[in-house]
Amino acid sequence: MRIGVFICHCGSNIAGTVDCAGVAQRAAAYPDVVYSTDIMYACAEPGQDAVIAAVKEHGLTGVVVASCTPRMHEPTFRKAVERAGINRYMFEMANIREHVSWIGKDVEANTNKAAELVRMAAAKLRLNRELKPKSFPVTKRVLVIGGGVAGIQAALDAADAGLEVVMVEKQPTIGGKMAKLDKTFPTVDCSSCILGPRMVDVAQHPNITLYAYSELEEVSGYVGNFDVKIRKKATYVNWDKCTGCGLCTEKCPSKKSYDRFNEGVGPTTAILIPFPQAIPKKASIERDYCRLFNQGKCGVCAKVCPTGAIDYAMQDEIVEVKVGGIVAATGYDLVDWTVYGEYGAGRYPDVVTSLQYERMLSASGPTGGHIKRPSDGKEPKDVVFIQCVASRDPSIGRPYCSGFCCMYTAKQAILTKDHIPDSQSYVFYMDIRSPGKGYDEFTRRVQEEYGARYVRGRVSMIYPKGGKLVVRGADTLMGGQVEVEADLVVLAVGGEAAAGSPALAEKLRISYDGYGFFMEGHPKLKPVETNTAGVFLAGACQGLKDIPSSVAQGSAAAAKAIGLLSRNMLDSDPQIAFVSVNRCVGCRKCIEVCPFKAIREIDMRGQPKAEVIETVCQGCGLCNATCPQGAIQLSHFTDNQILAEVEALCRF
Amino acid sequence: MSVLEGKELRIVGFLCNWCSYGGADTAGVGRFTQPTDLRIIRVPCSGRINPLFVMKALIGGADGVLVSGCHPRDCHYAEGNYYARRRLEVLKGLLPVLGINPSRFEYTWVSASEGQRWQHVVETFTARIHALGPAQAFAGTTGPANHNRADAMVS
Amino acid sequence: MSIQDELKSAIMAALPDLSCVIGWGPGPEPLRAAPLFIRGEADLEGFTAGFLSVNNPALYLPSLKGSKVGIVAKGCDARSVGQLVTETLIKREEVHVIGYPCGGVIDVDKVAAGLADACEPGEVGALREDGDDVVLDTPKGEVRLAKKDVTADKCGRCTFPNAENADVFVGIRRAPAAAEDTYADIAEFEARGTEELKAFWEKEMSRCIRCYACRNACPLCVCRDHCIAASREPHWVSQADDVPDKLFFQVIHAVHLSGRCTGCGECERACPLGIPVLKLKRALSRRVENLFGYKAGIGTETPPLLTFAIEESTIKERDW
Repeated sequence: MRIGVFICHCGSNIAGTVDCAGVAQRAAAYPDVVYSTDIMYACAEPGQDAVIAAVKEHGLTGVVVASCTPRMHEPTFRKAVERAGINRYMFEMANIREHVSWIGKDVEANTNKAAELVRMAAAKLRLNRELKPKSFPVTKRVLVIGGGVAGIQAALDAADAGLEVVMVEKQPTIGGKMAKLDKTFPTVDCSSCILGPRMVDVAQHPNITLYAYSELEEVSGYVGNFDVKIRKKATYVNWDKCTGCGLCTEKCPSKKSYDRFNEGVGPTTAILIPFPQAIPKKASIERDYCRLFNQGKCGVCAKVCPTGAIDYAMQDEIVEVKVGGIVAATGYDLVDWTVYGEYGAGRYPDVVTSLQYERMLSASGPTGGHIKRPSDGKEPKDVVFIQCVASRDPSIGRPYCSGFCCMYTAKQAILTKDHIPDSQSYVFYMDIRSPGKGYDEFTRRVQEEYGARYVRGRVSMIYPKGGKLVVRGADTLMGGQVEVEADLVVLAVGGEAAAGSPALAEKLRISYDGYGFFMEGHPKLKPVETNTAGVFLAGACQGLKDIPSSVAQGSAAAAKAIGLLSRNMLDSDPQIAFVSVNRCVGCRKCIEVCPFKAIREIDMRGQPKAEVIETVCQGCGLCNATCPQGAIQLSHFTDNQILAEVEALCRF
Repeated sequence: MSVLEGKELRIVGFLCNWCSYGGADTAGVGRFTQPTDLRIIRVPCSGRINPLFVMKALIGGADGVLVSGCHPRDCHYAEGNYYARRRLEVLKGLLPVLGINPSRFEYTWVSASEGQRWQHVVETFTARIHALGPAQAFAGTTGPANHNRADAMVS
Repeated sequence: MSIQDELKSAIMAALPDLSCVIGWGPGPEPLRAAPLFIRGEADLEGFTAGFLSVNNPALYLPSLKGSKVGIVAKGCDARSVGQLVTETLIKREEVHVIGYPCGGVIDVDKVAAGLADACEPGEVGALREDGDDVVLDTPKGEVRLAKKDVTADKCGRCTFPNAENADVFVGIRRAPAAAEDTYADIAEFEARGTEELKAFWEKEMSRCIRCYACRNACPLCVCRDHCIAASREPHWVSQADDVPDKLFFQVIHAVHLSGRCTGCGECERACPLGIPVLKLKRALSRRVENLFGYKAGIGTETPPLLTFAIEESTIKERDW
């Protein structure tokens, strides 16, 4: 083999603490290395061109680039060597930036380490083989998990591009958090007026199949061909017959059910349509509150239903669909704020969450758009908003900024003044974070035009006094303590990853961070991709964000899915297992351990042998580590290749 | 291959591509300073790591071997780390009877977001190996050292 | 009827349905019996089952796959059969196990030690069991040795003297020599400390001649012709006559047998240089037993390294 080695300076990122020329010099002596040089920016166009020119000039048959992490630029350089006429797998990277230059300042040690990493890469490269991908057909259908605004956007964009879309929504209606909002910042336009039509589009789009009140049960398969099982939870109402007339909800005698959609601001019935604009506009029974299920008798809804849609014997149903790509858009939940004793831990009815307040402001909410104190139904005059509740608080494991609370608090203060002109709002805040188009102006307007009083400081306690709540806090700008007598306290509760996010991530085989947010493929360059090919992210499931960002990400995820599925055939990753049949003794151990059922037993002249199903193999190499005689090997990570790396490092 | 005599010891790391290698990258991006002893071999999954790779390194002259994969439940390939956990845990039972200090080998889980945890793991393990000092070669080698032999192999 | 005769009738009764029955017959020396492949009554001449029945006849089963074979089995042999069946390396319905109560087998090296200057074990004329003793005819007259002093170590800790999965069992079941395998030998060995043990293996492995008798005698080494010790693809060990390479082969053998080794001890017994290679396998068996409560060759559950639990109650990998 004729190996060329290129040591990247990465400007001063590597060259600052590694003697790149020295490394190149040492590498020149490694076995099969015929050309070795250092280079300013290997990934830039001149860098890539230099690699290609060197391949041609020196007749190189393999290339080592020592630069950043292969997780970043391996695809870049593989393409480059391919342009130079070498198979893309005749290439290795040595990570001398993230693993060397950025983690230590000792130039001598770094240079030595870099040289060794190059040696390892070259040693492995000597055993690399040309690999060629195979093509397989794709299913031109995309699954969108979650029917909030991000999921809706992704679904509509994908459907408009001609893809079939399957949307799965956990709740009986799509719309997500945005459907609960009264108005949106910074325009103070009506949330349901802008979201509603989009929801209708989802329902009416010929390319979109909606499974509401359903959850993802299982995912198998791989990019281009995922096999998905969806659990349609029993609603006890046959939705093919239900017309959404609402008669059942009027007659239902169980009127004290928890109203999930309205955040418990008022009670609702056991059979319900979450809100007037719900999509689908179908009734479903909350089993926990239904008299028939809990007391054994009732059946009023079945009696009044004009279409006979009620079906108490309904069971969950599993639907199987094949999709080519998946968009996760599962959103967020509010943190449980009742952990805070200083805010009353849920004891005071007139301390409400921001989302509950939205429902009070909404004309379609349980109070008909009139702000009423939960305790006595009176209109509040003094309203205190407390920001950063369960945000930026390491003590409860939520050290991050939720990002949208400053803005919606400002909006709610404005709406309070609109609803009750003689009211006074107070906002306790830590910092006002309002980067965004028109955002900072908005937070000024609420103070300057609407007279909201912003107090920079934390609230130390809330206690009842007479019919009011005294909010005691610090004013760090003026110095000293302040007390405000409030009629109503609104907590700007921060968000967290939606319940069940880690479990979903495991089903999708994507990573999630310590908080449960899904990990994007790269924080800068792959914001909607994941490390699992064919799975994309949209909205707050990736990290908390506001509506415009969620919509943008929904479109971005759709674009990625559209791009992926615009092709009729996909190339398989050739880094998969292969069997040397003459060495295989048919012991079945590889078959036993394969997580993907990608190995089957075949009969070869009366002898049992293992065979890899190439389209199913994901390339984990578990079989390889299991086979005692090494008859099954993982291409590009064979025993010999890894042994070559080990031996390049060993002292003895 | 020479380490920096007196400064470094030879520590070989086997890291899965998806979590721990990413975690080591994250540590780098965050400029979390680490000792320089460790050399990382990237494998797709901790399940790919045949315990014999660990043994090959230890008998071949590594002073320490560190394996890191995705946290349980977080394996990119769903189950690889579960197998790795059993196999590597069992392997620990072999080292003392062979005459190798079992502290020279360890395995752990680091996710792609845990740059700081990776720094902690590297610092802790490196300190542990330095406390043990260099491993002694198994006497009785007559031929050239390992890597020279490997170099001689026809590629 | 003696056990020997009962076994012969059991073999003859089963033979019509079998391609052969594997037992023990006369070996190269009076103290060494050899595997005997019985295809008809004439082959029963010299059949023996008892103190000299050292070899593990399960060794031959994988290579005889495809035809139904009978084996006369000690308790430990039967465990090998059980493990081979569990791993689907052989089919249970293709094996006919004829069990008998084993009272332990000879360790010729211990006899050699007992004979001291009397003669070499190969010069012994005959061995006779007499109560708790064995009596050996040597050129210098009879030598009487305590049977327990010339019995294999593994028999002293034997917990399965009777073939538990036998299709036919001859004789009266025997009580095990030990209630459980405490692995005291391994604890004692390990207690010598890493430094001493490293020197120990350096010395022992320097004597290894790479004959692979240990591997060839192992009933669970089914790779045979494809053993990675002999292959360049993958190239795990070089052909060099070096201690690290030779030791590494023992490591390979032990790791490949972890969670599979039934402790029959044939590897160590077969070693012409008397290198105690079973120690490595037993160290791993102890580990597997402690972690997963698994004893190879007993029962039919999946071997622990071919499966997993999401929560491992015995593994505390997060504690460091």
